[in-house]
Amino acid sequence: MKALMSVGALVGVLGLLMLIGMIFGVVPSNTVRLVEGYMPMQVLSELAVFVAGFTGLSYLANSMGMAFPRFWQGVLFWTFVQMYLKFRIYPPIPFSVRAMYGVVSFVAVFMWVSANEEDWKKFRQPILNVLDANTGFHKALRTMYLILVPLLIGGFSFVTMKPSVDEPIELRTVHPAPPASTKVHGKTYTLQTSQNPYRVNLEGKYDQAYSNKLIVEQGMGRLMAPNANPWDEKAEGYLKYVREGGEIFFQNCHFCHGDNLNGRGLHAFAFNPIPANFTDPGTIAQLQETFIFWRVAKGGIGLPNEGFPWASVMPPWEQHLTTDEIWKVILFEYWHTGYYPRTWD
Amino acid sequence: MSKFRVNVKASPLLGAALSALLISASAVGIGHAGDLPEGFAKGELAPAPPADMIEAGKRVYFTKCVWCHGVDGAGDGPGADRLWPRPRNFNQGTFKIRHTASGELPLFNYNEKTPGSGKNDLFDTVTHGLPGSAMPPWEGILTEEQRIQVLSFVTTQLVKDRKFTDKQSETQTILQLGTIKPAEATEDSVKKGAQLIVDKKCIECHGVEGRGDGNAFNLKDDWGFSIQPANWHKCWNFRGSRQDPYNVRNIFRTFSTGVNGTPMPSFADSTSVEDRWNIANFVNSLCERDEEGKPLGIDPLTDKPKINFVVPSAPVEGEISNDPENEMWKKQGRRYVAMGGQITHKPRNFVNRIDDIWVKSLYNEKSVVYLIQWDDRTKSIAEGKLPWAPTQVNVENFGVKEQAPKTGEEGSIASAQNNYAVYNDAIAFQFPIKWQEIPAPFKPRYLFGDAKFNADILKWEADGSLRSFKGTGWDQDFEERDDFEEKVKLLKSEWKDGRWTVMISRPLKGNKDDYDEYTRFDIGKYIPMVFFAWDGHNGDAGRKMAVSAFYYTILQPPIPQEVYIYPAVIAVGVVFLEGWMLTRRANKKKGKVL
Repeated sequence: MKALMSVGALVGVLGLLMLIGMIFGVVPSNTVRLVEGYMPMQVLSELAVFVAGFTGLSYLANSMGMAFPRFWQGVLFWTFVQMYLKFRIYPPIPFSVRAMYGVVSFVAVFMWVSANEEDWKKFRQPILNVLDANTGFHKALRTMYLILVPLLIGGFSFVTMKPSVDEPIELRTVHPAPPASTKVHGKTYTLQTSQNPYRVNLEGKYDQAYSNKLIVEQGMGRLMAPNANPWDEKAEGYLKYVREGGEIFFQNCHFCHGDNLNGRGLHAFAFNPIPANFTDPGTIAQLQETFIFWRVAKGGIGLPNEGFPWASVMPPWEQHLTTDEIWKVILFEYWHTGYYPRTWD
Repeated sequence: MSKFRVNVKASPLLGAALSALLISASAVGIGHAGDLPEGFAKGELAPAPPADMIEAGKRVYFTKCVWCHGVDGAGDGPGADRLWPRPRNFNQGTFKIRHTASGELPLFNYNEKTPGSGKNDLFDTVTHGLPGSAMPPWEGILTEEQRIQVLSFVTTQLVKDRKFTDKQSETQTILQLGTIKPAEATEDSVKKGAQLIVDKKCIECHGVEGRGDGNAFNLKDDWGFSIQPANWHKCWNFRGSRQDPYNVRNIFRTFSTGVNGTPMPSFADSTSVEDRWNIANFVNSLCERDEEGKPLGIDPLTDKPKINFVVPSAPVEGEISNDPENEMWKKQGRRYVAMGGQITHKPRNFVNRIDDIWVKSLYNEKSVVYLIQWDDRTKSIAEGKLPWAPTQVNVENFGVKEQAPKTGEEGSIASAQNNYAVYNDAIAFQFPIKWQEIPAPFKPRYLFGDAKFNADILKWEADGSLRSFKGTGWDQDFEERDDFEEKVKLLKSEWKDGRWTVMISRPLKGNKDDYDEYTRFDIGKYIPMVFFAWDGHNGDAGRKMAVSAFYYTILQPPIPQEVYIYPAVIAVGVVFLEGWMLTRRANKKKGKVL
């Protein structure tokens, strides 16, 4: 038990040191990289490791007779969660969201320290001690609090009231509802019934099961499946169209959506909204192929207002590409990310 | 000569592979080799990667790399013709960022997987990418194993003219960066560096102020493509910055080893280690910093400076100075505005040579002034009169065309650089007209507004003109507004040592108090703003330009009195609350519970 707890304590100390390093900018916050797509799981497991670490720490302190008062445990844990959210997570979470998490974690800590009568007593004892000020130390502490609290609250309200020039927060819908049909190059496509004419098997029939077998493999790197090289001279049908789509992608789209389709192309840093990250499971993996067709063909300017058509630099690709080229690019995007287009059923 | 020491001891217990590595560091070395440049030591060629690794790398290459670097690694993939710099042609074995002496192959060892070890140049390049080019960092996308695999494939199969393992023809003379102690960036060191860049003729190419504006027209790489000298003020665009742009070691390395395939030589033979540090310290000191002289925050997602989308304008009393060095301007913080190519409508601008501008703003009771500064290696003013009217937006018929997707090297964008017809350098910004009636977040479109919501555009061109336009859509010609033009003022426009400084003043409102025709600036309101920039030597004109995202400008109001009063009132209230709590507690203890 003790050995286990010691390991826990060690993990806790290491983790804390790292977080403190990040807060003071000594340790870069990307030391342990947050991997795209796995971030929520990673954050949860990191927090779990921290909790285990803290349990170990408090157990060890207890057994060494240096028990940590329950009050400070509560306060420190809450502070820790706040620091973790602020300094570990990237891209940064806005203050308003962190405040929400702050309240939730406050309630959680409160429930923890007030779980039973004895714990609750232990928790509030230090507070009462200061209020009663029976010893000289507590008296000094109480005087300090009496002066500090009004000053802090006054200062805080001054800072909030001072006119600031923060960026206004504007919420944009990334995937707005599509229209029922869209007209591209003179032809009307009903989104529910249209199909990618290049997602075909060797007989030339629309066959998603066939193409699904040839997309890149999921997992780190997302490499092409063995024997499914679009650059093979003998590649025909679906794989040949994938290559043609890739050529169009790397002549037109990668400038923003990036060489790995992760939305980090050459020009991406300048634009807001940022280009979509197709490797994120929340973009093309969640959408039907015809939805993508509509978005690609009509571009940013064709979005409904909730998609901020005035700010998006996504070209209406019908101005640059033929319908066939658009379908091929879409084919390539699914191939390269290893996702299946969602189907209507 | 023996300023550095290699502290590596070979141990018989280590595996063969590992010791091969160590030998590369300790052999000959120890700093007394006669004709080696200072700071370098002889190394051994790394072992050839095993066949299965090469085979595995082929799979990585044809999934990720082939699209730009091409089937034979000749840098001629489908994406190549619209890129500048062009993707690397691997065939000759010419690589830019190395720890090896000028002309030598870079370090590549399939056993060395620690990023930043300085023992695996190609691995670091793939890991961190080459900022300022289309080569992205592959860390987090490809595993270390996959990165090593693809390099095994590239170095053995696609480098065709040279052989990484051929002891007859190849040598490795390695910069011992890990063991050389950097010289502190003291004032003295920076000052010496400033003199050295003149003595060593760095300024011939990199320019007097290091903005890469020296010999910008005549430089070509080994393949005959135009290239431009690095701009020392944008260290985040240094190819060798390894995602750590303010690290002086990167500059020291590039200066010591040169950039193969380009006119940038190695200065190792002619410059002592100490002088190299002085130069590196000076170059590093030029990179843009914040008001306190600290490095700019770099966004790890983009490897560029972090962006704040608000351009604040501070109030001043009386006249606004037209001198950027004036105290009132110096006090006001500047904002970094990122610029991307206009890639939405034809003619798209795949290569924008202006990738950021710096903006400051002040206002008084009559006008608001914008001070815009940006780096442009070339001062461009069109010869003769432009064939189109200033209001014309659709200038494709006059030869302003976008790069065709597939042209081959001859017709590629890299070949076209510096061969374009020269138009005017220009800068413009737009605000919505009648923004008061448009509820946020609605805005007129970023590209010259739209039919419903028009844009108020001010455009300055290097021929000295400053014009006011109304924009009604991306493909609609501007409407010129002469009456307003009399009121806008060009306070300053100057090109010096690779940088434009343009100061533009405009009235806070039109003639009347209404806002139907001209943007009216109301204090304390967020007003959307978009910037446009043209580099005349890039053939920029019409929609072929650089463009920013939406920013907000805000005239900062003077701080109202309530801001001082209310917090004081609140603090007093808290004091009363404390008194009440203490009394209550005291009563409770005495048993007088109420």
